[in-house]
Amino acid sequence: MLEGAELYFNVDHGYLEGLVRGCKAGLLTERDYVNLVQCETLEDLKIHLQTTDYGNFLANQTNPLTVSKIDTEMRKKLCSEFEYFRNHSLEPLSTFFTYMTCSYMIDNVILLMNGALQKKSVKEILVKCHPLGRFTEMEAVNIAETPSDLFNAVLIETPLAPFFQDCMSENILDELNIELLRNKLYKFEADRRAFIITLNSFGTELSKEERETLFPTCGKLHPEGLRLLAQAEDFEQMKRVAEHYGVYKPLFEAVGDGSGGKTLEDVFYEHEVQMNVLAFNRQFHYGVFYAYTKLKEQEMRNIVWIAECISQRHRTKINNYIPIL
Amino acid sequence: MGSLFRSETMCLAQLFLQSGTAYECLSALGEKGLVQFRDLNQNVSSFQRKFVGEVKRCEELERILAYLVQEITRADIPLPEGDASPPAPPLKQVLEMQEQLQKLEVELREVTKNKEKLRKNLLELIEYTHMLRVTRTFVKRNVEFEPTYEEFPALENDSLLDYSSMQRLGAKLGFVSGLISQGKVEAFEKMLWRVCKGYTILTYAELDEPLEDPETGEVIKWYVFLISFWGEQIGYKVKKICDCYHCHIYPYPNTAEERREIQEGLNTRIQDLYTVLHKTEDYLRQVLCKAAESVYSRVIQVKKMKAIYHMLNMCSFDVTNKCLIAEVWCPEADLHALRCALEEGSRESGATIPSFMNIIPTKETPPTLIRTNKFTEGFQNIVDAYGVGSYREVNPALFTIVTFPFLFAVMFGDFGHGFVMFLFALLLVLNENHPRLSQSQEIMRMFFNGRYILLLMGLFSVYTGLIYNDCFSKSVNLFGSGWNVSAMYGAAHAPSERKKMVLWNDSVVRHNRVLQLDPSIPGVFRGPYPLGIDPIWNLATNRLTFLNSFKMKMSVILGIIHMTFGVILGIFNHLHFRKKFNIYLVSIPELLFMLCIFGHLIFMIVYKWLLYSAETSRVAPSILIEFINMFLFPTSETNGLYPGQEHVQRLLLVVTALSVPVLFLGKPLFLLWLHNGRSCFGVSRSGYTLVRKDSEEEVSLLGSQDIEEGNHQMEDGCREVTCEEFNFGEILMTQVIHSIEYCLGCISNTASYLRLWALSLAHAQLSDVLWAMLMRVGLRVDTTYGVLLLLPVIALFAVLTIFILLIMEGLSAFLHAIRLHWIDIKNSCGGTQGMFRRPKVPNDKNKSN
Repeated sequence: MLEGAELYFNVDHGYLEGLVRGCKAGLLTERDYVNLVQCETLEDLKIHLQTTDYGNFLANQTNPLTVSKIDTEMRKKLCSEFEYFRNHSLEPLSTFFTYMTCSYMIDNVILLMNGALQKKSVKEILVKCHPLGRFTEMEAVNIAETPSDLFNAVLIETPLAPFFQDCMSENILDELNIELLRNKLYKFEADRRAFIITLNSFGTELSKEERETLFPTCGKLHPEGLRLLAQAEDFEQMKRVAEHYGVYKPLFEAVGDGSGGKTLEDVFYEHEVQMNVLAFNRQFHYGVFYAYTKLKEQEMRNIVWIAECISQRHRTKINNYIPIL
Repeated sequence: MGSLFRSETMCLAQLFLQSGTAYECLSALGEKGLVQFRDLNQNVSSFQRKFVGEVKRCEELERILAYLVQEITRADIPLPEGDASPPAPPLKQVLEMQEQLQKLEVELREVTKNKEKLRKNLLELIEYTHMLRVTRTFVKRNVEFEPTYEEFPALENDSLLDYSSMQRLGAKLGFVSGLISQGKVEAFEKMLWRVCKGYTILTYAELDEPLEDPETGEVIKWYVFLISFWGEQIGYKVKKICDCYHCHIYPYPNTAEERREIQEGLNTRIQDLYTVLHKTEDYLRQVLCKAAESVYSRVIQVKKMKAIYHMLNMCSFDVTNKCLIAEVWCPEADLHALRCALEEGSRESGATIPSFMNIIPTKETPPTLIRTNKFTEGFQNIVDAYGVGSYREVNPALFTIVTFPFLFAVMFGDFGHGFVMFLFALLLVLNENHPRLSQSQEIMRMFFNGRYILLLMGLFSVYTGLIYNDCFSKSVNLFGSGWNVSAMYGAAHAPSERKKMVLWNDSVVRHNRVLQLDPSIPGVFRGPYPLGIDPIWNLATNRLTFLNSFKMKMSVILGIIHMTFGVILGIFNHLHFRKKFNIYLVSIPELLFMLCIFGHLIFMIVYKWLLYSAETSRVAPSILIEFINMFLFPTSETNGLYPGQEHVQRLLLVVTALSVPVLFLGKPLFLLWLHNGRSCFGVSRSGYTLVRKDSEEEVSLLGSQDIEEGNHQMEDGCREVTCEEFNFGEILMTQVIHSIEYCLGCISNTASYLRLWALSLAHAQLSDVLWAMLMRVGLRVDTTYGVLLLLPVIALFAVLTIFILLIMEGLSAFLHAIRLHWIDIKNSCGGTQGMFRRPKVPNDKNKSN
């Protein structure tokens, strides 16, 4: 930002910042979650959500209510909010919004490629795509047979082009390659991804060298931590690597030992929520928009989790949602 | 003074509703709009409440009704809006209604679905014909302009692409044709080129008429395209790309005959579809028309039903589960009606045990209810805009009825304009039952709602206009002016007196541009004009100086009186709430502070008016200087207004100075003293209150307005009032802030009342300018053309008068009057608290809140 940009921030983005803060205030509170957990059926859930900022977003759904319906409607709602922000934003905030959609677009592309591999119809997969990452060329993904094809034909017009440019090879597209591609693309949330990649690679045929190429080359772990991680062979070793870092040490300590405790992923989610909430403590920056979207997503995950637990009558784990502070 | 002076007395009643009859009872109560319910299940989440199932059913019905209304409005069928508001449906009918609605919905959905399908079909066929029509020209052009098409030498100059010749070549030439929406053409072409690496030829042309999109129903521009490609692999890709861009693809005929056949087939099918579609639409319309008859009342009924269940959700169950207990606030005057409504409800449902009610004593502050009628409503709204008074507080609206139009008129004073405004308001009032008026749009509605305010404002303006003697900026000489110009010539005076006076003669009149009448010459001033300002001032050049002095003094006097009145209203409140100490420690110092400074000012103004006449006016002291000297204690002696003025002023200043510390510290110290245990005087007093409060009835009546007082009787243990702890610092802070605000406010508000003068001046000047710029021009032209010119001039004058002087100026005076009332209301009102909300008013708009 320019020198003294705070002075002019409100001229261009003040309205949206106010709006996003208002939206953040509408997130479900702890009390809401307590109530939601008590719900017996999805209908109860719907009634309770009606008293929150969600309003009667499910009013037009015909019975019976399903988890996926709730999920789609919630996504639609988030999407419409996001679209509103985006349509009312000025540069450079609008570019920021475009960047925010990139991760969803990558996810969608990968999803479609996987679907094409498994010979599923595009329509079927389109439903599963995240609405925030929609773009017109998306449906043509399955035309491509090689990654370079994909890049040259489909993605070159999209905002994704600069990201894909570097990681396109002439390999044939199979599942492993797609997964590798995805991990090459994700350059954000770097440290978490490095940990998760390591965790997931235990017990697979992925070699240590290959694993190292997947790691993003940024973040706090780069470069020492990543080298150590590449050598790790089990969770304990990974934990030992994390202990060198003040941020990750408490997270790994919070992870339960397999039976009933929290998973590493949950712990990371919690940490993320906390960071996102902290983003609201300062004014005049774009982070709040990102944070809000992420918090809303987490909230949606929570609701879906609770709804799943309710519909499957699996109440023991219903409290495993991640509350937004 | 009745109900407008204070809000209604309320009581908390417990209703015992037999579970079988609760619905009917509440329905009867709701139709009357008697009570406000209290939520007894506040800590129960919404989906765990008793009647959540019924609420859900209502929501389902609402959903169906919303769907019906949407379909009806889409079909442009007028919704008959019944004036009558039907009562909530009896429980027996609900099921029937639900079934009916559901059946209707299913039928409607099916018919609409069919219709949509047919429509989509039709659109597709239309698109197809368009495509055929446009692509025919493509092929011809292809052939004509690209004769050297290398891959297909056989094409040469044949009129049509010969399919068989292609097969001869061993290659398979394929065509894909269809429609694509305008926005996507460019991206589509690019992608096609990239994917197929140029092995395709894309021709497209814009369709001249926009068509509806069969999927979204939007009317947009389309492009017709034709892709020719060679080879199956590419064809596969092309099809995928078309899918991706949501093109509408139609089979492309290979030969001319085929094309013709298809075209003919299409035409007949389109004809068929039209007739079928027509019939379907007719049927749909019939169904919708039938539904439209009852849908409006149904919507209201369902809303009422939902509101009833919401209220029932607020009730708690008694132990036996046989009856519901509701707690309601009810005006005491309506208790009888409440009982009747309960009986009626029980009777309707045919219950064996009647529902009944029970008044329970409470210490909570009841909600405020002020009943209004169509006349007082507007004024009450003005007051409510500043805040709703707490329970049983003096309601300033009563006085606003007079003060508001009066202050407005002081600023708007012109009886011509006032009369026009009065006539307009009168027109509204006389036609108030006219349906067009009550359903009018925003701005007109605003005037309509404030018609009685306008009426009074007009009347008062006529009055002040008469006082100012202003009618469209001209004065009216009704009674004959009190000034006599001829006396200035002095022929009638005795010669001995003549020497002392400055008399006029011919040369004086001829050579002076401005002449001054001297009231001290006998016969020139023959006593005041009977009503208002003498019309001769309208001709005088020093008119403004004279009027300014008069209006400025007048506005200060009015302002001080108005503010004092506000403080006095506050005394009424303290008396009513039995907080005598507030009178001694707050109101009286406040009054002293104001009156010692500004009261004295008023006294000086009036005194000067009365004491000095034309003869002595030259020695009259300036009030401004006197007033300033009051604070400065000048060393040099001035000749005051009256003997001993200096001493009186000193005394007043001392009183003012003394009242300030009392105002700041009096109340907090007194409360502290009360809190720390009183002296023997206090004990006897508390004994008295103890006896008084033993009576439960009284307790309920007193409510919590004297919580503060009760607070100090906590040690007596006779009340279990839950109130916050005594916090001296907080009370001190509040009082100090309040006092500072008041003291500064006294000065700034007095200045603020000068707007009365400023606005009335502005109004008079503006109307004067309008007259001078327009009417005078018209009146000065000579008689032959003058008549012709005057007509448009008068029209323009009328329009400008209405828009600038009446509407614009009126609006500004209105806003300033509102601002001035804020001072008054702030002085009189204490805190503001919740308003009484009628839970289920029969009208569908303000239901349930």
